[in-house]
Amino acid sequence: MYDIGMTVFNGLAWAMATFLVAAGLTLIFGILHILNFAHGGFFMIGAYVSYSIMMAFGGSLPLWLYLVGAMASGIVVGLLGWAVDKLVFRRLRDVEDAYSLIATYALLLVCGGAVQLIWGLNYMGVMPPPALNTVVFVGDMFMPTFTIFIILSGIVAYIGLEFFISKTSTGRLIRVVAADPWMAQLLGLNVKKIYLITVIFSFAMAGTAGGLLMPNQSLSPELGGIFLLQAFGVVILGGMGSIRGAFYAALLLGLIESFGTYFFPQYPGIFFLLALAVILLLKPEGIMGKGQTA
Amino acid sequence: MTSILEARGIQKSYGAVRVLENVDFDLQDGEAHVVIGPNGAGKTTLFRCLSGETRVNGGQIKFAGRDITALTGAQRVKLGIGRTFQVARIFPDMSAFENLIIAIETRERNDKGLRFTFGYIAPRQQVVDEAERLVVELGLEGAVDDVAGTLSHGDKKRLELAMSLALSPRLLMLDEPTAGMSPSDRAEAVRLIARVRKGYGLSLLLTEHDMEVVFGLATRLTVLHHGEIIASGEPAEVRSDSRVREVYLGQH
Amino acid sequence: MIDYRARFRSNLLIASCGLAVFAVVPLVANSGLMFLAGLVAINVVFGLSWNLLFSGAGLLSFGHAMFFGGGAYAMAVVSLRLPELPFLVGLALGAGCGALIALIFGFIALRRASGVYFAVLTLAFSELVHILITKTTFLGRNDGLVGVPRPEIDLGLFRLDLTSATAYYYFIIVAMAAAAFALWCFQNSPAGRLIKAIKQDSVRTAFLGTSVFAWQLTAFVLSGAIAAFCGAVMVPFTQIASPEIAYWTVSTQPILFTLLGGAGNFWGPAVGAILFGAIDYGTRAMHGLSEITVGTLLLVVVLVIPGGLLGFVRHRRKKTRGKAKASTAGDTGARS
Repeated sequence: MYDIGMTVFNGLAWAMATFLVAAGLTLIFGILHILNFAHGGFFMIGAYVSYSIMMAFGGSLPLWLYLVGAMASGIVVGLLGWAVDKLVFRRLRDVEDAYSLIATYALLLVCGGAVQLIWGLNYMGVMPPPALNTVVFVGDMFMPTFTIFIILSGIVAYIGLEFFISKTSTGRLIRVVAADPWMAQLLGLNVKKIYLITVIFSFAMAGTAGGLLMPNQSLSPELGGIFLLQAFGVVILGGMGSIRGAFYAALLLGLIESFGTYFFPQYPGIFFLLALAVILLLKPEGIMGKGQTA
Repeated sequence: MTSILEARGIQKSYGAVRVLENVDFDLQDGEAHVVIGPNGAGKTTLFRCLSGETRVNGGQIKFAGRDITALTGAQRVKLGIGRTFQVARIFPDMSAFENLIIAIETRERNDKGLRFTFGYIAPRQQVVDEAERLVVELGLEGAVDDVAGTLSHGDKKRLELAMSLALSPRLLMLDEPTAGMSPSDRAEAVRLIARVRKGYGLSLLLTEHDMEVVFGLATRLTVLHHGEIIASGEPAEVRSDSRVREVYLGQH
Repeated sequence: MIDYRARFRSNLLIASCGLAVFAVVPLVANSGLMFLAGLVAINVVFGLSWNLLFSGAGLLSFGHAMFFGGGAYAMAVVSLRLPELPFLVGLALGAGCGALIALIFGFIALRRASGVYFAVLTLAFSELVHILITKTTFLGRNDGLVGVPRPEIDLGLFRLDLTSATAYYYFIIVAMAAAAFALWCFQNSPAGRLIKAIKQDSVRTAFLGTSVFAWQLTAFVLSGAIAAFCGAVMVPFTQIASPEIAYWTVSTQPILFTLLGGAGNFWGPAVGAILFGAIDYGTRAMHGLSEITVGTLLLVVVLVIPGGLLGFVRHRRKKTRGKAKASTAGDTGARS
């Protein structure tokens, strides 16, 4: 009972952490049809920025400052997103798929290099804020409060995003532009502005995710790559562009990864990849089919 | 006269929309069979089902007595069914000549296996000779070295036809072969198709809109309307069929 | 009409010049530079193998590290655990390992051959291979396999002693030249033509009676085998096989070489590999600087000169020729 409970718990943790990263990625893909490799890089920058903020305040923070720090990371990375849109994404509009993929990959390299230059190669780590650095006991299971917090954050993020996309006017605009940008332009919508908003929002999410997930991580310039691959798996499986699909895919892959690691602890990190391969072999369109932004 | 292509009970739906409803279709060996019908009648869909571009939802298709319903388009081509597209599909970044070479080499691969596929760094003389023959036959001399993507619309169609002929098909399916052509080009195209049909002993299946082309080429006519066949037979018969007149006079 | 003879001759000339330059290096440079040149030679063919897939078949692979690493580890294992096997057999096994990996993963990835899906799947599979390597004790886990010996090849009549770095360097040059030649022959064979056709219009190719999937898989397997061959040839040179060579950043390298030099030209990756060797050597002092330079360069290439260096040169030559001819023919532009 303990085992199953803990495994499910860990699976949820993986799922929600990955979803926090994948959400922004899904948005950009759904709207711009660019798979943004740099998303991983900006997530990483968010984590490092948040780390620096924490260190500036002595390394141990009250909860609210941790949250503010995460949001600050979001803002910083969001601003970077604005720059990236202006300098790079805008020019990728007419570029072939393959080349735009390479371009975002190049951006990822630049992020990685910048992180190495600014923060160095060493592994760094930080504890969660004391308020969250406890454990909750349910029967035999012990669940770190911080992990519970992450799981809740993921769920909140999902609900918030779904609401934003389906109920708000901006969300509706984004959906329209995603479905048919040419038509949207014809209808007089400022497509460029909506692209920009989406990009900034997506990057901000990456940065915030980085800030939120930063405690308990060992920070290294490789962080971007690790989360990126997980996010990619989720986005591909969930049917590119669908937030709902990404959420379910995250849950599925998280549980598979968790149970896989339970039975074969010597091989962490490959189960979700194997699952991805098998599922795509059987159902190439992913679990939600063609991408729709919803 | 034997039936070279037989379709029975063809059903095709796209989602909830039923496009082809219980279509029975016959193509006799050696005939030029044209399928006509107003827009949205299902001509292109029928075409795609017969050529293997899409799977049917129901029914059976036989080619030369053999059940091909489950075969892909590529497999059907290997059996001897050639296909041209409404918007001519050729290899845009290669020269017209190279396009022909590829078609010929593909036929060789289907006939003789992989013997000539590796180990040659230039096309074999045999292949080049055949390509040159096709160039002359289809009147592509002026376009031979041009990059295929830059050819005129008509030249592209002729190139595509040449490539299809290179495969030595028994049945050639032409999807609106004269679409987008000027009247003089159209007449030229009709002459070319008729000549090719005689010269290669082909059976032809065409869809068309232009009535002059239809009556210039057809030995048999089938009229499709709302996914059903409403008339099929000799052109003169079909022309005077009352239902057909109703459909066409009503539409125009 | 394309003059195939002339094309062969001019490519032979270019290759010979390149070979000559590489051959001269040990005579004029120190051992450090010779070592670098050996690695550059291997990178050249690594890039060529990747470009076979990219420009030849229109498939973008982000996972070539799995082939390179796979071949390298296969070679290391054979050299260390099965020393009775001839060296050349070890190389063949290395290439075969790459072919096998390509066959398995290509079969899955090619079902979604659309650019983005395929690219990410190759990335995912490459990481799968990398993790497996780091967790397998037999392969040395995170430390890798060290002390891989350089071989002595027994050819019956005489022995080739490749134990010195210089001797092995010359072997590398010869092996890479052979691999490049094989790649060139393939791309100019009917098979290469067919694969080029698939890239330009896969529907048309299918309706000529070809199994598009089978041929894309063939290209993938060949590309993987050659990339693995490169890894296998490299290992006795460096005498170590460590997990870094299967890490995903290694997959970036052939992409970079090809784009820098120009994807539209057969020798593009070669130009890029040499250029990159120079950059890497120049920036080796500062951590992170190499990645920033590489990333920025890639970005600039994609956004400004997608044809790479060679594409840029070709474009300029066309322009000057066009001006001189004052012809009415349209310029088809720099297509990569």
